Amino acid sequence: MKDSQGQPLPGPLAGLRILELADETGQFCGKLLGDLGAEIVKIEPPGGEPNRHVGPFLDDIPHPERSLSFWYYNTSKRGITLNLETVDGRRLFGRLAATSDVILETFRPGFLASIGLGYEVLRKENPGLIMCALTPFGQTGPWRDYLSSDLLHMAAGGEMASSGYDESDLPIAPGGGNSWHTGCHFAHMAIMAALVYRTIAGQGQYIDASIHEACALTTEAAIANYIYRGEVVRRQTGRHHAPGPTPRTQFRAKDGNYVCALVAGRLNPRYIGELADLLDTNGMAGDLRDPKYQDPAVILANTSHIIDDLVAGFIASLPSEEVYHAAQERGFTWGAVRAPEALLDDPHLKDRGFWKEVEHKELGRSFLYPGEAAIYSRSPWRISKRAPLIGEHNTEIFCDELGLSPSELSVLAENAVI
Amino acid sequence: MSRPRALENIRVVDFSWVRAGPWATRWLGALGAEIIKIEWPENERGRLPSTTTPQDLEVNLNTSGNFNDTNVNKKSLSLNVRSAKGLEIVKRLIAISDIVIENFSSRVLQRWGLGYEEQRKIKPDIVYVSMSGYGHTGRHHHYTTFGPVAQAVSGLTYLSGLPDQPPAGWGWSYMDDTGGMYGAMCALTGLYHRNMTGEGQHIDLSQMVSSVPLNGPALLDLTVNGRGSRRAGFPPGNRAHWPGTPLVHNYRGPIVAPHNAYRTDPCDYNDWCVIVCHSDEEWQRLVQVMGAPSWAASAKFATLAGRLAHQEELDERIEAWTTTLGKYELTERCQAAGVRALPVQSAEDRVEHDPQLRHREMYLAIEHPALGLHKVQNAPFKLSETPASNHLPSPLIGQHTREIVEGLLGYSHEELRLGFADGTFWPTQRARFPYLEEMLQ
Repeated sequence: MKDSQGQPLPGPLAGLRILELADETGQFCGKLLGDLGAEIVKIEPPGGEPNRHVGPFLDDIPHPERSLSFWYYNTSKRGITLNLETVDGRRLFGRLAATSDVILETFRPGFLASIGLGYEVLRKENPGLIMCALTPFGQTGPWRDYLSSDLLHMAAGGEMASSGYDESDLPIAPGGGNSWHTGCHFAHMAIMAALVYRTIAGQGQYIDASIHEACALTTEAAIANYIYRGEVVRRQTGRHHAPGPTPRTQFRAKDGNYVCALVAGRLNPRYIGELADLLDTNGMAGDLRDPKYQDPAVILANTSHIIDDLVAGFIASLPSEEVYHAAQERGFTWGAVRAPEALLDDPHLKDRGFWKEVEHKELGRSFLYPGEAAIYSRSPWRISKRAPLIGEHNTEIFCDELGLSPSELSVLAENAVI
Repeated sequence: MSRPRALENIRVVDFSWVRAGPWATRWLGALGAEIIKIEWPENERGRLPSTTTPQDLEVNLNTSGNFNDTNVNKKSLSLNVRSAKGLEIVKRLIAISDIVIENFSSRVLQRWGLGYEEQRKIKPDIVYVSMSGYGHTGRHHHYTTFGPVAQAVSGLTYLSGLPDQPPAGWGWSYMDDTGGMYGAMCALTGLYHRNMTGEGQHIDLSQMVSSVPLNGPALLDLTVNGRGSRRAGFPPGNRAHWPGTPLVHNYRGPIVAPHNAYRTDPCDYNDWCVIVCHSDEEWQRLVQVMGAPSWAASAKFATLAGRLAHQEELDERIEAWTTTLGKYELTERCQAAGVRALPVQSAEDRVEHDPQLRHREMYLAIEHPALGLHKVQNAPFKLSETPASNHLPSPLIGQHTREIVEGLLGYSHEELRLGFADGTFWPTQRARFPYLEEMLQ
């Protein structure tokens, strides 16, 4: 996307400087902001963030510069190292904070204030500063100092109570680190609200964001089922929680993969006709064209036959991707249950320019990264650079921008400040 | 003096329905924007069908509990947008608004003559967020989603479950919740950009596509290492690694043991606690909390490699202990000793028993004219200067029609009455709720 002079348009958050002091719980929030055009300075302790040791690794060789998890969550950021436990480190941080728009931090509650870098101190130099503390439980309350992990949040947030299998009462925590994602989505929203307010009022503010609360909010109607009807939902294989058993929506296709087919609750005479047309594409309509199905009572009485015999039989007769496209082309809201590897060749994602080639110059290689959730017509999303190496931008930021001399920088390095 | 609000004086024209779109505008409303929800009782989706109407109330357009929680902080304009008069009213509304949000299929607004180009003519700096299933661009833009389908097609469903079992998936529309979050994030980002540059834009959000980046590390394992996720031992359930399979990453966090859900006393449906030890030191703390049983002193459990190699036995031993305690007591004992543990919490647990959520006032009651006084979910962040809050219950359908049509748009009361008579503001054949009759007095 170019402007009238042929220059690439900046992202919607261009011009913002954000300091990120975030571990695995908050790094995705920095990525969300950075890929939208904000300039992110990621501040790591000397030696790098511990989550550089989280796999998978490039060629399965563990190394802090080879963590694909770190790579993914730290695109579009510059990286410096700084030891905030030293006087020099705190002084340099104060200088950076004075010229920044947002600080995103994930330290344990009270830590930054305890070393003299709390919001009340930093805002004196910079009244427009927005500071977002994203922590597992927030800055207050009986659990504020509890330890956590992705699995712990999925448990206490209610995700596990909603997910699992029909036959077993074992709750299952969906994978992928989504408690961190959920906390970061809400933190991103809160930061954006504060930024919008600042465009009008000129004033910054402090944000106390809680991952536990974010997760507790993210179970759709489970809370409403309880509040309005006193019902506690039960887990159902591959489909919505519900107070009682529900018809299945996940069916095994010919290739052994599954298809998500939402059928129950939609069954009426018109739908039966459309379903018969779909199933007939592979000669599997069975008795669906029998006029008896014009009677809703007959449909209701035959729900199990329609779903467990006919729909299941049709899906079992074709590969999952074929079922998916045949159904969608006929207006059915069905989908193949894909493993992530199926996405790379998805033509729709290609049409949207979804996959981005990101250069890793030091390796002499480029890799494909997932792209944007949304296409912005006037301010494009982009990955401006791969994740920073440890201290990669120390010289650029400490010398070129803060004016330190190279010899001052070496002294800081010798004293383990950077 | 009341606190300022982050989105003071921002007006949102909200065509959204079902869950993802309304979940987006709920938050813009909590942040202070005026949300005008445009609805039509004949093809409303979100209020009905309702499975969350209290047992003692009639199921109707105004008694869904889940609708109430999803639509706090909004006003409702009942309007037949498919009529020429309705379309004219919508255009007058867009002309004095900042944001338009909808989550219809990809071509609906264009068909109504309200595509982005039309919106721009009415309001040059409008921020338009479309939240369709597959987006407005791309060959499958006409495909449709509900949360579970977006989750399936994007790979999210596959990442949840036990190895060699069908996917357990997500027990709710995670991508309606999260899709809603993206809707709000896009609207706020577009608004910030507009305030800085004076330019509006169209933000083409897709529920399916927005799910894909949530699989980031798994996708890089694929694009960088060539490793797919269809493999032995994956997904590993609640564990970080499935015993007896290659030590390959799980995309959740460190590969450690113990890392599982364990039954707790009294072993009912939701009596589970999760325990995770990220290091040998944390494991030794757990051993102390368990009372240093002799089995735990075995050398085979002393190291991470040993605990991973003997995970089945480890989990059995731990569970023999956890079943002697309730999940909250277990949590407190573990956390007091620096061991990562939390209870599996049902909705009832979160609303009634979670001391942290109670302290943070996560659920505060508001009065709804049809449902009565009920708790509603609050924001998971506290903004020091412009706190988010639930200041309005969800609207009754059409509740604010007069306020908007007469008060905001300047139509006369006679024109309002005429609009009710000719089917612009309410279907002529449909019985009107008493508050609609009152509106016409």
